[in-house]
Amino acid sequence: MPLLRSLAHLLTELRRTLLAERVTVQFPFAPAELPAEFRGRVILTDEALCKGCGLCVRDCPALALELERQDREHFRLIHYRDRCAYCGQCADSCPSHAIVLSNELVSPSQERDTLTQVLVEHAPDSTG
Amino acid sequence: MIDWLSALFSLLIFPGFAFLFLCALTFQWIDRLVVARLQGRVGPPWYQPLADFIKLLAKEDVLPIGAHELACAALPMVSLAAVLTAALYIPVGTHSAPSFEGDLIVVLFLLSIPSLAYFLAGWLSGSVFSVIGGNRSLLQYFSYEVPFLMALSGPAILSGSWSIAQITAQQSHAPWIALVQPLGFFLALTGLIGKLKRSPFDIPKAKSEIGAGPLTEFSGRKLALWQLSLHIKTAVGIFLLVNVFLGGASIGLPAPAVLVFGIKALLVLLVLSLVDVLYARLRIDQLVNLGWRVLAPLALVQVLVVILIGVG
Amino acid sequence: MSRITIPIGPQHPALKEPLSLKLVAEGERIVESALRIGYAHRGLERIFQNRNYVQNVHVVERVCGICSHVHTTAYCQGVEALLGLEVPPRALYLRTLLCELERIHSHLLWLGVLAEHIGFTTIFMYAWRDREIVLDIMEELSGGRVAHAVNVIGGVRIDIDPEYAHSILARFDDLERQIEVFLGVILHERTFQVRTHGIGRLTAEQVRRYCVVGPVARASGIDVDMRRDAPYAAYDQLDFRVIVAHEGDVWARTMVRTMESVESLQMCRQLLHAMPEGPLAVRAPRRVPPGEVVSRCEAPRGELVYYIRSDGSDRPARVKVRTPTLPALAALSEQLQDINIADVPTVLAGVDLCIACADR
Repeated sequence: MPLLRSLAHLLTELRRTLLAERVTVQFPFAPAELPAEFRGRVILTDEALCKGCGLCVRDCPALALELERQDREHFRLIHYRDRCAYCGQCADSCPSHAIVLSNELVSPSQERDTLTQVLVEHAPDSTG
Repeated sequence: MIDWLSALFSLLIFPGFAFLFLCALTFQWIDRLVVARLQGRVGPPWYQPLADFIKLLAKEDVLPIGAHELACAALPMVSLAAVLTAALYIPVGTHSAPSFEGDLIVVLFLLSIPSLAYFLAGWLSGSVFSVIGGNRSLLQYFSYEVPFLMALSGPAILSGSWSIAQITAQQSHAPWIALVQPLGFFLALTGLIGKLKRSPFDIPKAKSEIGAGPLTEFSGRKLALWQLSLHIKTAVGIFLLVNVFLGGASIGLPAPAVLVFGIKALLVLLVLSLVDVLYARLRIDQLVNLGWRVLAPLALVQVLVVILIGVG
Repeated sequence: MSRITIPIGPQHPALKEPLSLKLVAEGERIVESALRIGYAHRGLERIFQNRNYVQNVHVVERVCGICSHVHTTAYCQGVEALLGLEVPPRALYLRTLLCELERIHSHLLWLGVLAEHIGFTTIFMYAWRDREIVLDIMEELSGGRVAHAVNVIGGVRIDIDPEYAHSILARFDDLERQIEVFLGVILHERTFQVRTHGIGRLTAEQVRRYCVVGPVARASGIDVDMRRDAPYAAYDQLDFRVIVAHEGDVWARTMVRTMESVESLQMCRQLLHAMPEGPLAVRAPRRVPPGEVVSRCEAPRGELVYYIRSDGSDRPARVKVRTPTLPALAALSEQLQDINIADVPTVLAGVDLCIACADR
């Protein structure tokens, strides 16, 4: 009888589910296990590598990067975490592999200012 | 004086309001937990139904323009009152309810009042979805109530009495009626699922089709009372079935009556949860078909079998 | 009998995405329907004109969340054709692998949504649980569950080593076992069948008239599939069946999509076993010489068409997107005639609407 066959399918699956582990990941009460390739927070590997060429700014689809240049050596690279789409194009476009995406989660915030980070600062007075 | 106090205790504490309130919350929690585990989820913590109830009491209570305000305020209370009154006549564990000949009929009548109130709530709360839900709930009522009543009359005819306490008492020295009339038990369970509007018969409150059906526009305290009455109805319905079909607190061995009763009630609840998980929701015309073409004739067959073979 | 107007949307439990469907019902029967879309319109085609080709790869991905990879595939293919680039074979295989993984995840998502709409919450939970296998693979490969950012103009930016390929293949066996369970339910479970048989029937003639594509067309007997008829990426190297059914109702569409998931699993296995060695991408110039191209792909919902016109600068002059949901929406009124209110969510789910795609 088809009714019994259908019950057999589902009852087997019900039993398997009952005996297996819960599927729910109880984040944030349990740690979130993120793979190494997860595209998370945008960071600089080494500030010295960044030449301020602006390729990352040009290729960012979300317009989340901004470069303020005063002159050849003095510039500031700002990243707006709330605009960022975490696509990784900046990391792909950077010729010196200075900017990368780590696999940390970016926490939300209610203060807009905490979501703006200055990635690189080469200010006039710091180089003397 | 003692009579007064014991009556008050029965009404308010055990097996009255406090006990039923606790049962409603516990059964709801167990049901949600079992369904969740069968689906691979975690399920709610034990205090979730209580938290939901308290949260609803604190919420704003609004009705749309066009809703009948007085009726919408009264209907949840009517539903709750009917269900609580029905619980008075159902023995729980060791407690013997004030019984009289015919109280089975009275209980069944009282348990139909919430269904009527539900339908009226749909019509009078002023929303398209609730009107459709109300229509469906009435159609559903007529489809499951007839087989349900006939299935419950089988044990009464077999025991020769229309009093729940008597039917239960008869089963302490006879096999449980569920074993003698398995068809009747199956029909009573199906009818109960329809009465409690659980899947696959949760048609009036089909979430993906009509919001929440008749209760779409209720919120705050009114919704809290509605949900409480529906959950107490679950507990009362299960207790009724345990008494009429499963012999109440008797098991043939000496064992604490409350424990036995509780285990039987939990088993019925587990069956209801399992059925919830196993099937898709039926359409209202499919349910009407099922009720009148399959369930009602089967119930008739069961009653005839009892009359011709069972008694005497 | 009196008529009542039922508003389905813009917010309704039956809808994943906003659209406005006004139904007029007599009792439980629908007599009229009126559809409005545009609630998820974001002006993406205009945004494409304001971004350069590299930026647009990521903007194109966000046209839709479920079929994001196939949108980038269609776009990148088009731009590569305009540039005259030859994409390395390994990149084509990886692109196709993601396309098929996306098809499986989209069909499992859809199965869960359909089950939820007919009240079968258990299958909803199981389908989305098993979909996590695919999403985890995609996250480990690309870094995102929804936005994969795998394609670049000229190739792909991810790679698979043989050890990782082994772990993927092992998980595919689990997934195949689970899809067999769903097939069993669809074929044998009575309540599922009574809710989906005969609902939302479209004849082959109606499908042709409205130009419906994808699994909906294949469920009505129209044998059309871009992967076989106009092969792109690595599809000409693969051996696969195109699933066609003839009943044309929601049940047939369920069968087509579930069997397609099984076929996609087979294709993923073939891709992993036959993956050629080589570079992952070729260097793409930033300016695209003037020209126009039409790029077609088989998205999980049907044929996806991208028309790109370039004018020699580093920004496209025009990108026009024709998503498969648009003709399906046009055919909706035919399916909504004379059905029960209870079947409306089933019909809506059976068509597998992606309003974000349709509205852009």
